[in-house]
This record gives sequence, structure tokens and C-alpha cells, in this order.
Amino acid sequence: MLPILSGVRSVARDLGGALLPLSLRDLEREVDDRLSKIPTRLNEFGFDPFGFSPAAVRPSALFAALLHRRYFRTETHDIDRVPRGRVLLIANHAGQLPFDGMMISAAMLLEAEPPRVVRAMAEFWVPQIPWVNIWMARGGVLVGTPENCASMLEAGECVLAFPEGVRGMNKTIDQRYKLQRFGLGFLRLALETDTPIVPVAVVGSEEQQPGLLNFPALGKLLGMPAFPITPTFPWLGPLGLLPLPVKYHLYFGEPLHFDGASTDEDAVIQQKVDEVRRAIERMFARGRGERRGVFF
Amino acid sequence: MEKVLITGISGGQGRLLARRLLESYEVCGVDRLAWEGRPRDVTVHLVDLRKKKFEDVIRTELPTAVVHMGFIRHFRGDERTRHDVNVRGTKQLLDHCTHYGVQKLVVLSSGYVYGAFPENPYYMDEDHPLSASRSYPEIRDLVEVDTLASAFIWKYPHIRTCVLRPVNVLGYFVHSMIGGYLREKYSPTIMGFDPMMQFIHEEDVCEAIALALQHGLQGVFNVVGPGAVPLHTAIRETGGTAIPLPEPLVRPIFERMFRIGLWPYPTGAIDFLKFPVTLSGKRFVDATSFRCLFGLEEIFESMRK
Repeated sequence: MLPILSGVRSVARDLGGALLPLSLRDLEREVDDRLSKIPTRLNEFGFDPFGFSPAAVRPSALFAALLHRRYFRTETHDIDRVPRGRVLLIANHAGQLPFDGMMISAAMLLEAEPPRVVRAMAEFWVPQIPWVNIWMARGGVLVGTPENCASMLEAGECVLAFPEGVRGMNKTIDQRYKLQRFGLGFLRLALETDTPIVPVAVVGSEEQQPGLLNFPALGKLLGMPAFPITPTFPWLGPLGLLPLPVKYHLYFGEPLHFDGASTDEDAVIQQKVDEVRRAIERMFARGRGERRGVFF
Repeated sequence: MEKVLITGISGGQGRLLARRLLESYEVCGVDRLAWEGRPRDVTVHLVDLRKKKFEDVIRTELPTAVVHMGFIRHFRGDERTRHDVNVRGTKQLLDHCTHYGVQKLVVLSSGYVYGAFPENPYYMDEDHPLSASRSYPEIRDLVEVDTLASAFIWKYPHIRTCVLRPVNVLGYFVHSMIGGYLREKYSPTIMGFDPMMQFIHEEDVCEAIALALQHGLQGVFNVVGPGAVPLHTAIRETGGTAIPLPEPLVRPIFERMFRIGLWPYPTGAIDFLKFPVTLSGKRFVDATSFRCLFGLEEIFESMRK
């Protein structure tokens, strides 16, 4: 890189920074500060063994922080219940686009002590998409193989999983706050790696993009996991992807420790999974009782 | 004193290893090329592993240990010859080992045998399937060599056989594919991809082989260096410039250039520039308490133009 080019670039960045409103600059400084306190070990080039890089993730972290503070005005409850070291966050999944994952990540970065990077698990086809795969790896996201999840947990990281998967994400509005079927894999992994599970209830995401109908077959044709119809999508095109400015509440439950063999029959594992489900449902009840409205 | 025979002794890695082992072993070697300026007490026999003359060498030298690294790893020559030298050569060597009382055998395979795929988990252990031939048929001979040697472990348990699969080897002397690629001033990469890559210094590979001999290791082991960085960081740190090119354009062009000999790497290698192939070296570290001497910065330093 030519030195003059990098000089021009740094001047431009300083100027751009100076023109930002004061509050945004404060947020920028806060994000930088929090990113520097993440306990994940980095090598001499600033990467963790899985390609996570605080420097590269900074712009997306700032964007998530903006959404977290200004757009969804997220309120987190009992985030101090998340223990240090390895932990599995299990949350409900809703709202057509994964803003719930983004808000949990933002909360763990901005509100948790020490700040943590949330390691989410992505679908198998994501690493094949140019640029998206880099962006994903630098943000700490991995392909969702059981091996990857286990090695993350063994490294003492905080892994987020949505056991409902697309069943939850693309459900219609009449199903809001009704948990769909949970996969069992997460609990087997928790048993195998002796990891505490923290149930997380996301209140707000279920109304952010009210699904009226879903045409999975059409989605499949277009290479998407679903084809939802909402009041704005597909009528407004890409603009229709914008979520409503609902108010987010994140409730973190008491850590759950389970004993038993990870190879037990489905029925045995199911009982433990149901315990996690019930914990989320209890927090739903509390959260929906406490809030004054969907948007406030 | 134990006597070690090194196949491929005149290559960069072979020379380093011969010098490294000279303190504690009697060292001899075979290669198709001579080693000018070798240490006085090292004998080098110019033979082809597939020929009867190689058996004569083993019969007269009677080594107690063999390190097998005499492979053709480049693609400049004929594809069939490469396959024959690597696979049949290995088979002959394994047969001689059973007939002439060899007690220890180390086969230097490589981490490429796992193959580069989008669904690869990070830090694969030795039990991961060897799928390289699915997307990179040009190196299926290396997969076959690895499989032959791994099967040998169970067929002849009285010979202490060890298969080592090191990650990308870099250094001043060694001629690895990745080394050649990083030594270029401009390294083409695939636009929109930047996989994590692990590296190990050539001296540390020697150390790993020496440890395997010393412990009489038996089994298959990944050998992992000090850490991993994205490909573009490695290119920058070795003093090169990455040229990201769109894949749909690159594939057909490189394929034609490879066929007429203008480009040294087959198209199967492209996937290694897209998807991570990272290995877990835990099993080897547990068995030998191996620790790398060279860090990432020193490894890249040794590659600077």
C-alpha cells in the first residue's frame, strides 16, 4: 500500500469522525473500549484461532450498537447471570430476519461484564458466499457443525443457538410467543462438554416483522429457507425487509446445569430440553406482563 | 548407534533433517538427485524407489529407522509418473521395511490430504476422513500414500510406524507448493475469500520428525505450528501483494494455463484459497510434548523477498 494513500485515508477517517454527531462519537468510543476488553485471546496479528478480529468487526459492532440503543431501545434484564467461561445461550427465534441474534450479541458486548463476543452458528452454505464468509468469520461466527460448537465451548467461549431454527424465525404472527419444536442437538453438546445453559427470552422480536403467510415452497425455488408475506414484504421490495421499531427486552435466566450421558435416548434428552423451554416461557410471561406496549 | 535412512534426502527438508539427525544417528539417504556439499559422514545413494537397486541399498545399509519423504509434490512432470513414483515407491519401501528388520518408520504425509471444503470444521483431528481427492484429484496419490502407510501401522504392529501430517510448511530451504506461492511478488487470491491458514517452520518439522523417532511413535499425527492467520495477512507479512480475482474468471484461465505449463498449480488447489483447512495438533503434543521454536512472525520473516 502506498504510504500517501493510507495517509489520505486516515485523514478522511478523522474528518469523517469529527463530523459525526457527538453522541455517535461517544458510542464509537464505547464500542472500541468494550471490544478491547473482550477476554478472547488473540495472536500477534490480532486474530483468534477461528478468524475473529475485533478490529475487523468494529463497523458491524457499531451498527449493532446503534440498533441496540436507538432503534430497538433494548432493555436487558439479569445479564449478570451469564457465567464466565464456557456457556451456551439458548433463545427464541422470531421475526423473519435474525435481528434477535444481533441484539443478544450487542447486549453481551455492551452490557455484560466482561464484554463477550457471542459465537453464533451459521448454515452450511454461508461459507460459500463471497465476502459474507469473511465478514462472518471476522465477527466470530462459525459453520454450525457439532465439532465447531464443541471446540468453541472448549475454548471457553459464549455460544448462541436458536434450537427452533427457521421454524421459529418464519412463523406467522398468530404464533407469536409460542415456541416451536426445539432441536435436541444443543443439549447433547452441553452434556458432552459440561456446559451451563443460560435460557434467553427475547421479547419484541416476535412482532418486528409480522408474518401473515409463508410459502416455503416458493422460498425453496428462490434458494431461501422461507418466503414470508408481511405487511411490507414483498410489496415494498428491499425496504420491506426493515423491521418495525419495536422495543426489545432481553431476559437472561438462571444458568441450568444438566447431568447425564450425551448419548441418552431422545426421550430422556427431551425432558431436559423441555426444562429449558419452560424457563423461556416463564420469562415470556414476565416480560409481556411488564411491558407497556409493543413499541414502548 | 541407530542408523537412519532418509528418502528424498537431497530435497530442502531432507537436507535439514539429515543435519539435524547427524548428532545422534548414523545417517544415509536415497534420492534421484545428488546432494553437493553434503556433510562427510552422510552417504547418498542415487536410486529410484521403484527399482531393485533401492532394495539393494536397504539390504546393504540395514537401517534401523527409515524416514520417508521422497515424494514428487510438484506438477511439472508427467501426472502418471508422479502417481507411480509416490504410490508404488511407497509400497516398495514398506515391503523392504518388513523384510530387512527396520524397527521405526516415519512417513511425512501432509495436512492437504483432508481437502478444502466449506463444511470443514475448524481444527480437524486425525480421524477426519481424507477427502482431498473429491475436489483435488491431482493429489490423490498423496492421499493413497497416507492410506497405505496408515494401514501398514495395523498390519505390522511390531514396526513402530508413524504418519505425520504437518500443516503448510514454510522456510528458506523447503520447496513446498504454498512456499512457492507465497514467494511470488504477486499472489492471486479468490475475490471474497480469506480463509484461516496454519503454518509451521521447516526446522520445526525436522524437530517433529526427530521427536517421532526418539519416542518410537506409532500412529497418525497432525503436526501443527504456532497458529493461524488469514491468507491475505500471510501474503502481506511475507512481503507480497495479493491480487484478488473473481473465481468464475480464474478457474477456466488457470486450468488452460496449467495444461500448457504456464501455471504451476492445478485448479483443485483453488479451494485451498477459499476454505479453511485447519488441524488440531493435540494428539502429537500429548504424545511428545512438542513445542514449536518458531513463531508466526519468524516464519513469515524467513519468507521475505
